Amino acid sequence: MAQFLLKLLISNMNPQVLMTATHTTPERVLVIDNDAARSALLEQALRDQGYDVICRLENTAGLINKVEQIKPDIIIIELDSPDRDVLEHMATLNSHIPRPVVMFAEEGDTETIQQAIKAGVSAYVVNGMSADRIQSIMSVAAARFREFQALRNELNDVRTELEDRKQVEQAKRLIMKHQKCTEEQAYSSIRKLAMDKGEPMTKVARNIISVLEMLD
Amino acid sequence: MTLFKTPQLPNPERSEIELGFLPLLDCAPLVIAKEKGFFAENGLAVSLSKEGSWASIRDKVVLGLLDGAQMLAGIPLASTLGLNSPKVAMVTAFNIGLNGKAITLSNALLNELDQLSTDNRLPTAEGLKQIIQKRKQKGEARLTLAMVYHYSTHNYLLRYWLSDAGIDPDKDINLIVVPPQQMAQSMKKGMIDGYCAGEPWNSVAQMEQIGTPIISGYEIWNNCPDKVFAVTKTWADNYPATHKAIICALIMAADWLDQPQHYNEAIEILNQPDYLDNTLQTSDNDRPLLRQTHFFKYAAGYPWRSHALWFLHQMQQCQQLGQRVDLKAIATQVYQPEIFREVATQLGIPHPTIDCKPEGFHNSEWILQGNAGAVTMGSDLFFNGATFDPNGC
Repeated sequence: MAQFLLKLLISNMNPQVLMTATHTTPERVLVIDNDAARSALLEQALRDQGYDVICRLENTAGLINKVEQIKPDIIIIELDSPDRDVLEHMATLNSHIPRPVVMFAEEGDTETIQQAIKAGVSAYVVNGMSADRIQSIMSVAAARFREFQALRNELNDVRTELEDRKQVEQAKRLIMKHQKCTEEQAYSSIRKLAMDKGEPMTKVARNIISVLEMLD
Repeated sequence: MTLFKTPQLPNPERSEIELGFLPLLDCAPLVIAKEKGFFAENGLAVSLSKEGSWASIRDKVVLGLLDGAQMLAGIPLASTLGLNSPKVAMVTAFNIGLNGKAITLSNALLNELDQLSTDNRLPTAEGLKQIIQKRKQKGEARLTLAMVYHYSTHNYLLRYWLSDAGIDPDKDINLIVVPPQQMAQSMKKGMIDGYCAGEPWNSVAQMEQIGTPIISGYEIWNNCPDKVFAVTKTWADNYPATHKAIICALIMAADWLDQPQHYNEAIEILNQPDYLDNTLQTSDNDRPLLRQTHFFKYAAGYPWRSHALWFLHQMQQCQQLGQRVDLKAIATQVYQPEIFREVATQLGIPHPTIDCKPEGFHNSEWILQGNAGAVTMGSDLFFNGATFDPNGC
């Protein structure tokens, strides 16, 4: 886990300055994401590539005004966000509002768009933006979303593991109290019960807790 | 329940299928087909993917990440035409549900309406028109009304209702999109004065005393359609037997859902975390919702080409569509009653033999001579007495 965080940090600290040199006015990117941590990751990654990034974390309220005020070239938004339907309505009313990137799938690279969608990202882009730029921004976004998901999964695993350990600890202490035995004896009795029943130790521990707590 | 014949349909080319839905009351046929085993009965192992927006459903179906999905009826039409979406031909052979929408206004706006001298509430938007004019004269802010998506039945019904009273939905008010689950809260915060949405989002406003539904979709147009089950044309061409197996399971699920003895169980299943996640209350309040929405009765599942034409006309009315488009050709391409008929014949249920029907002519149930027996059809009046005759499309 720590290693993963480190890897993430290093990759963020490595700006690809080459990209910045190729264009003079940086594209203005609006990131709409209710997950503050993920949006911060993405913001940094895009800034490192020379984009002008604005993040917006509040809810739908004011979305319309915000988009009109910022006039982004590209909007990165979580695939499942209900705000997408709001954005698409705006695009039907005003030709300056970015349009769903999937519309450009034929001209550009369907693979990038598919990968992004699988990672849970979608994008809205203004007319005239080059396929290369779209592809580059979407790849960065998809990579960050995937990394973030991996990080979140890892965190969940660690949390579950901790929770499991806590339960076995608690069961152990209850057995020690009721059987007046040593810690080692209590532990081996849980392990034996788990092996006899062919059940995970956490499950056995939970059962022990519920029974012994009733006796308390 | 309807006694179905055992269908002799060809074996599906694929058994593992992933279908998308939005957590709304009318995802019910998909959920029930899965949970009550109708998909399995038809040789399909279906997983259902809960999506967050109509845009997400469209993208995933277009890119082949979903095999098919519940959609607003306007989406397959817009997608086939390439309106603000990639031009990808889609087809539907199943209409999901009749009725189930309403227009809800905020308490403040209702108070304003109450203060008008005459009874201006129903069934027209005449009272709203007066309020709009008054606000204009006083230089006050325009009313803001919301709907769920620009190619939605809600948009077209709301516009139809407003226009009838001489209100120009593009000039006289602000008409915006708000996701259905945020409607009631947006109204509570005073961001919108009213909205048109599907259930359960009108009842929610009423229960939380934020506003009151003032006219139902049924009252605007008796037994109007709303959502469809759609796939891309390429998918339908590649997997015709799988498509029919899905339609067959959906018809069986629709019939199950229309039985009053199943209402409680249906609500219980729909409330599971994977689906509507307890947004439907298990009180008596919800049974009327299911009672108003027909999934099987009145040939509800039948994809009428005339319905497609009505939607296309509305799209033209609000400038989403140019005047030169051959509406009949698009309706014929996207709506495929032929597939429904083939499956219904196999199931031995009475079903229409025609593709189009005129609207606004029946004020009560009527009998349509169909295949495998007579079909009882529902009333089809518009609130303003208008008619829509598709001219034998």
